[in-house]
Amino acid sequence: MSTSTERVAVVSSALSQLKPAWDTVQHIDLISETVNQALLASGFDIHDVDVVIDCGSDVLDGRSISNCGFLGQMGAHHKEESRVEEDGLFGAMYAVNKILGGGAKVALVIAYSKPSESIVENYYRTIADPFYQRPVGLNKAVAAGLLANQYLTGTDATEEELAEIAARAWTRAAANSKVSDARAYTAREILDSPVVASPLNQLSLSRPVDGAVAIVLTSETIARKLGSTPVWVTGMGSAMESQFLSEREPGRLEACEVAAGMAKRFAGGKEATSYGFAEVSATSAADEAMVVEALGLAARGKAASAYDGDVDINPSGGAIPADPIMATGLVRMHEAANRLSGRVEGSSATSALVHASGGIGMQTHSVFSLEV
Amino acid sequence: MTRITTGIDQAPALETSLEMPYTLTTGKAVSVFIEQLGHGVIVGSHCDNCDRTVVPAQDYCARCGGDQGATVAVEPTGVVTAITRTADGAVGLIRLDGVDADLLHVIDESAGEVAVGDRVEATFAPEPVGTILTLAGFAPSTSAVSTTAPKEIDEVADEDLAKQIIYSLSLPYRHAYGPNYGRLFDELGSRGGILGSRCPHCQNVLVPPRAYCEICYVKTEQFVEVKDTGRLQAFSVIHMEFIGQTRKPPYVYAEIVLDGASTRLIHNVAGIDMARATEVLDIGTPVRAVWKAESERNGTLDDIDYFEPIPE
Ligand SMILES: [Zn+2]
Ligand SMILES: [Zn+2]
Repeated sequence: MSTSTERVAVVSSALSQLKPAWDTVQHIDLISETVNQALLASGFDIHDVDVVIDCGSDVLDGRSISNCGFLGQMGAHHKEESRVEEDGLFGAMYAVNKILGGGAKVALVIAYSKPSESIVENYYRTIADPFYQRPVGLNKAVAAGLLANQYLTGTDATEEELAEIAARAWTRAAANSKVSDARAYTAREILDSPVVASPLNQLSLSRPVDGAVAIVLTSETIARKLGSTPVWVTGMGSAMESQFLSEREPGRLEACEVAAGMAKRFAGGKEATSYGFAEVSATSAADEAMVVEALGLAARGKAASAYDGDVDINPSGGAIPADPIMATGLVRMHEAANRLSGRVEGSSATSALVHASGGIGMQTHSVFSLEV
Repeated sequence: MTRITTGIDQAPALETSLEMPYTLTTGKAVSVFIEQLGHGVIVGSHCDNCDRTVVPAQDYCARCGGDQGATVAVEPTGVVTAITRTADGAVGLIRLDGVDADLLHVIDESAGEVAVGDRVEATFAPEPVGTILTLAGFAPSTSAVSTTAPKEIDEVADEDLAKQIIYSLSLPYRHAYGPNYGRLFDELGSRGGILGSRCPHCQNVLVPPRAYCEICYVKTEQFVEVKDTGRLQAFSVIHMEFIGQTRKPPYVYAEIVLDGASTRLIHNVAGIDMARATEVLDIGTPVRAVWKAESERNGTLDDIDYFEPIPE
């Protein structure tokens, strides 16, 4: 960050297979295997890790303070451990601040979920306030449907453009070996899939998947001693919308604009369009379009055109084909770090914007600027 | 309530649920809003600072954080600003006449499809239901835009306000056992064997078995069978009754180190005179498992009915 002499780097990361149902393993099996891979890739022993920050949802996990039960298999035995009940990218923000503050040199950030073990809409219902929004039927699909309707009503964007965004996401996910059961779809097939919450279809709403991701971050001094290419955190920001959909600006994600503005400002006033690529989260194709616009990659209502621009959007496929709720944003960071550090063939990008979102109707936003 | 299920194409899983009862405290604005719906009146609140009327009524302004000023009655008519349709019906955002923010509610399309920009008016449940759903939703309307300004309502008598709403959540789950617990429960169910896993680094035998030794953080890789006898590491006589209890007090809750294991197993000690439990039991007392009849076993640690002291 520009205000500190020491920087923070992502030095290694690991991602489990993202599957509609990991029904042969428990959370702890999924987590421990992923953490072990991230540690192996970093060259660190668990005893080198100063702090473990983990992100998941008690409601999805089906137990209260679930980190207490998962602690040992996360490598957090007798360590400083903290739970962030938010997307893993918020955990990464915590880790960066912890290292910049001098409280840790090596941080392990973990995010995971197994939505296949519960009724996913129950998780979203529990987020909605119980007096005014939950009884009326607010859940993920309804919130995404309303946001999409506002986006289409308030701009020149079309349903066909949203279908193109979803089709592109599925096509790229089909080429991503980490995403299971994904195939390429055409925009026509997206539009023909069953309507879940108009104007959104089954294939234009994000698909919940099970998975875990682990990322190791270190101080600059340590990162430079390691053999791998450090991926520097050059900026980050976060912001939140009102819990009431009715209090939000229709057709755009103002909190995402604020979070992106912070991240770009810390990165020295970098323009969104100067980044090599962006890895963004979304619960629907309309949400993804609004995120693309909020990051500054397209004018309002013009997200569709940004997909033909210089900044590659979601080379991994993004969150529509694979949304491991609570881990989705940290998966974006893993995908970005993998590409920036040269672990993905054919990728020569040197900078990326990474985005995470949580809550109902994309209430919370976190944005990172990563560079090599 | 828990139950183990195994399907032909499904891995064995634990079916369980969390039952969460609540009494939700409404606060002033919510209680007035719900009470007034019972009279067919929709109330919002006006922030003097922002000069903005929002509905439903709020105690604080979401924009400036200040106290809301007047509680006002608003018109039951307005225009749809957003709508989505699901298998459960339509939900929309409605801008009521004279109000400065939308209201999220059900759109009643039984008389025909509703589109953004259409006029709608409130419909009410036949009887108050004690929630926002006393306002059933919004149906198509031929009403003209009302120019009546929201007007302040009379103070609602405190005894007419419901301070709490009885509410409950039921959250069902289907938890995968995974390779370690799966094997443990298989061995328990098929032959009453208790499995742990050995850490190749510290040599500790961990019960229940797990993929990684928590202390060394290395893969365990080897299952080890331990005995169904052991020693008390700690115990407590439980006299208190609480929700979720599976036994009737008094009973003994104990940490038992099984012979061959390095970790403690939580279980019950019984088969003793409970009134004399603290005289009969001590740290280090040898105990043995008392298994349920085979017909009653279901492959969980509950297959052990309890542990009892081994006579010296
Ligand atoms: Zn105000
Ligand atoms: Zn060990």
